[in-house]
Amino acid sequence: MRLFLGQRAWVLQRLTALVQLFLLALGAATLLIAPPLAYERWYALATSTHGAVLIVVFFATLALHGWIGVRDIALDYVHPPFLRLAVLTVVGVILFAIVIRVVLTMAAHFAGGA
Amino acid sequence: MRTSAGAAPKFLNLLQIRFPIGAIASIGHRISGVLLVLSLPLLALALDRSLRGEAEFAALRDLVSAPWRAALLVLFVWAATHHLLAGIRHLLMDAGIGSGLPQARTSAWAAIVAAAAVALIAAARWLS
Amino acid sequence: MRLSIYRFNPESDLKPHMQDYELAPEADDKKLLDALMRLKTIDDSLSFRRSCREGVCGSDAMNINGRNGLACLTPLAGLKEPVVLRPLPGFPVIRDLIVDMTQFFAHYHSIKPYLINDTAPPERERLQSPAEREKLNGLYECILCACCSSFCPSFWWNPDKFIGPAGLLQAYRFISDSRDTATAERLAYLDDVYRLFRCRTIMNCTEVCPKGLSPSHAIERIRQALVRESS
Repeated sequence: MRLFLGQRAWVLQRLTALVQLFLLALGAATLLIAPPLAYERWYALATSTHGAVLIVVFFATLALHGWIGVRDIALDYVHPPFLRLAVLTVVGVILFAIVIRVVLTMAAHFAGGA
Repeated sequence: MRTSAGAAPKFLNLLQIRFPIGAIASIGHRISGVLLVLSLPLLALALDRSLRGEAEFAALRDLVSAPWRAALLVLFVWAATHHLLAGIRHLLMDAGIGSGLPQARTSAWAAIVAAAAVALIAAARWLS
Repeated sequence: MRLSIYRFNPESDLKPHMQDYELAPEADDKKLLDALMRLKTIDDSLSFRRSCREGVCGSDAMNINGRNGLACLTPLAGLKEPVVLRPLPGFPVIRDLIVDMTQFFAHYHSIKPYLINDTAPPERERLQSPAEREKLNGLYECILCACCSSFCPSFWWNPDKFIGPAGLLQAYRFISDSRDTATAERLAYLDDVYRLFRCRTIMNCTEVCPKGLSPSHAIERIRQALVRESS
């Protein structure tokens, strides 16, 4: 996986963090402008094109950032090569499945609520 | 000359080492990161439920009615706040801002104390 | 004063143990090393390294009350008793407070700690402007005592692969040197998940450096140079 050699994983870890910071700030600003987040408003926001895309991007960066972090932990503490590969594969598959799940959630409501 | 590896002991008892505040912030960053990865599937489920209608959306607010769920939520709030603050600290330090030792010590303290304070407020609200 | 010291004799001990000492320091015993030297006159089996006794040779690095430091620079006044002395954390113990530094120096040598310059040498010497020389301040003073690397958690978990703060500070010392032409090769060597990128900016290194240097700052600058080079 050349993508995660040397500085690339380190840069990706920081880029994903920056994206999350931006999205969290955006979410916080949206809440602050009109505080009570009732169901109607949340549904309209989340299922709009912008909302749905940003939610998927948010979860995708969380998954990638999380996997890089788990890899850092495994590089430090899990030394047997097979065990490390197993941990990274299992965590990677689960995180990927979570992102797919979020995409499906958003697609279902996007189709119905547009 | 000692060459046979494994024969020599090592001193590495972490309880007998005095860790600087930066190390405490760092291990907190790691532990909170693991907690956040563990909570990601629940977060995805919560997102799904929140879009399934008025009743499901309202049910999410009642999560804290069970003390054990409230306790887990407090833990999540601590993890999210600590990871966010310590993460911002790292991003700034990578850019050369506040990476001197005195500033880094102060920011480590600030992240630890602020995250603990936010978690305490959450606990006071949900666990009383 | 009371001391508690890590003892291990490879010829007779299977496991290390702590030994307590009572010592009456004399008036001119100012530093921890003075107390250790006096202790050695009582118990000559106690082993530790020391040479210059003034913080230049870097021999008497040890773990003092849970933090790494040089015994010769640590004032006796203000030390919490019993003074607990252990060998540098994470390093193989040869005897008592003496550790095996083989791996530490192997990392140091791996970063090619010497000037590389493939241009034709000038008549007399390669000159530096005062500004260029200034860049080496805070880097060249390292005495390789290993206080930093042995206090670095990343180094504990991967002592064979992570170069560690001392080696990386030295790497940056040559990257910063205007007379060195191998910057690209040096950066390419460091661009590795283990060699450089095990560092998590914990800053334990900078906390304990007895010379007041900042390996974490050197690592920060190396990472910035790598990002600049690849963008």
